[in-house]
Amino acid sequence: MQWLLAKEWRELWSARAWWLMLVLTGPLVGLSFINAVQMYAELSGLNGTAVGVGEAFSPLVGVWAPTFSAYELVAAFLFPFVVIRLVGGDRQNGALKLEMQQQISSLARVGAKALVLLTAWLVAMLPLVIAGLLWKSYGGSSYAPELATIAFGHVLNACLTIALGAAAAAVAEHPSTAAIITLSVTVGTWVISFIAALQGGWWELVAVFTPPALVAQFQHGLIRLDVTLSTLALAAFGLVLAALWLRIGVPAQRRLVESIAALGTVALIIGACTMARASWDASENRQNSFSETDEAALRSITTPLHIEAHFAMEDSRRAELERMALVKLRRIMPRLTVTYVSQTSVGLYEQNTEHYGEINYTLGSKTDTSRIVTAEGVLETIYGLAGVTPGVERDDEIFRGHPLAVPPRHASALFFGVWPAAIAAAWFVRYRRQA
Amino acid sequence: MTTSPLLTVSGISKTFGRLAAIEDVSFRVEPGEILGLIGPNGAGKTTLFECLAGVLPPSRGQLFTAAGRPLTADDRSSLIFYVPDGIRPYPDQSLGWVLDFAVGFFGGHPDNARRVIESLQLTPLLTQRVGVLSKGQAKRALLAFGLLTPQPVLMIDEPFEGLDLKQTRDAAATLRAHANGGRTLFLSIHQIADAARVCDRLLLLSGGRLRGEGTAAELIGRSGASDLEGAFLALT
Repeated sequence: MQWLLAKEWRELWSARAWWLMLVLTGPLVGLSFINAVQMYAELSGLNGTAVGVGEAFSPLVGVWAPTFSAYELVAAFLFPFVVIRLVGGDRQNGALKLEMQQQISSLARVGAKALVLLTAWLVAMLPLVIAGLLWKSYGGSSYAPELATIAFGHVLNACLTIALGAAAAAVAEHPSTAAIITLSVTVGTWVISFIAALQGGWWELVAVFTPPALVAQFQHGLIRLDVTLSTLALAAFGLVLAALWLRIGVPAQRRLVESIAALGTVALIIGACTMARASWDASENRQNSFSETDEAALRSITTPLHIEAHFAMEDSRRAELERMALVKLRRIMPRLTVTYVSQTSVGLYEQNTEHYGEINYTLGSKTDTSRIVTAEGVLETIYGLAGVTPGVERDDEIFRGHPLAVPPRHASALFFGVWPAAIAAAWFVRYRRQA
Repeated sequence: MTTSPLLTVSGISKTFGRLAAIEDVSFRVEPGEILGLIGPNGAGKTTLFECLAGVLPPSRGQLFTAAGRPLTADDRSSLIFYVPDGIRPYPDQSLGWVLDFAVGFFGGHPDNARRVIESLQLTPLLTQRVGVLSKGQAKRALLAFGLLTPQPVLMIDEPFEGLDLKQTRDAAATLRAHANGGRTLFLSIHQIADAARVCDRLLLLSGGRLRGEGTAAELIGRSGASDLEGAFLALT
């Protein structure tokens, strides 16, 4: 196994796709970081913007989410080629025919590649360390739990990319076919998200597990156990699929049957994972939670609550209701059920329909109707139905924000100059040593 | 005195759709021999080798160990090592490292490495990347890779492909030395003269079927030809 890991590691560093990805990652992260810090600074009052606008600003939302989002591009458009190169390369040059004769299971061989690729991903995240040091040097505030959460989300996303690329490279005869499969799946997940936004229903449930939705949750500092476990199960399935199809000495029909069995198994596992309700809000500003006093009051309500909201899928009020209230409410009231009622996806021609825009609350035998979609409005209605009076929010509970009116000094030089030059120099030294 | 075969191949067939690449091929591999598989292009030599090595799933047939039981995947890994033709593995790694990998990964004997490398004149190439080696150099590198593995049966597809006359003779001498050391070699060779020079026994494959089996003299005698090339033409 040690030799296999060493070989995969050497193969990684021999791959030009990997060096290209590494050299491009710096400028991509830099572009996101510089734009985010500039915007953050301007909203915090730099160059005369209204003072106080950025007071409740969180670096997670203002700086780190956009900076990390560079890795969504890397995961979608660069990293798959590195994965395909490492997994499919053995098949192309014949090394697979040699290595498969060793008494190491196909899954172990794929596992070694996955481990090396995951390490490669962590190496590719080095520009974030530069961003972090720059941010600190500007006097920026950072909150470790939310940074760890967002990084974890992107590592999970990388796991999905590794699994997808490995499976595609194993199933396809040629790397170009594998690349087309991988990109098709990526585009497919975007299509699912798009349809979910229009149709809702089952599409919406599935869309939660697509990479963009996965990353979005972590970028808000939210760790959901169901999403995390389902992602890990999906990644494991991709690796198992790759291992099954790299056994080229096994009849294709048997590999197909085993793949279908693996698919059925992972579907059951993911079904079980979705039952997990636990979630953690790692954000400093508790953007996925109500205040502690509100949460205490809501916990005291044991009667099941049902909400029926008359909003179409694309109605902005529905999105606001979800984001501002229901996402938080589901975390604290696991017995909450929500139903959306609408005749169209846009809602534009339903505005005059009776009850459109109404939110009906049913708590036990009590009911109430409201049209307010803000967190305060929703809570007020629920408290009214339950007869609960929340405590007064303490002053220290309120997130005051970390405005920072400092421009992104030295960032351009580091990300667009030093990083690419350092990577290019490292590649050149290695190339000369090999030549 | 007859020895028990190291490996018995029984009724191996391989079809691709409606095309029968190999049909009902059976033979025995004796310990310590150099067995040659000869046949015209498209006879099914590589397909047969890949089926025996487990790289391709055979449609029918079975392999048996010396103990007479069906060969399992684990048996195959510990008994057979197969060096395919036409591959260029690890093109970005140095030859020295690749040969170290062959020893380390497959559990070969490091003591053999120097002898194998010197006998195949690979010492000056050890720092070169495999990808930049010439065809003949790459073939010798693959031979070395196979010779460094520990399995008692070494199958090599076209061991002399791309080698000049001197290199072929040197490589043949190296293979003979390994066979004399107790290793069984099974070589697929399309050059009849090379096969006659190197192999103890020959299998003649044509049209996916085994057309003859025996020493060169036996094949010549059976065909009524004056030499092995004549026997080859008569039997295929």
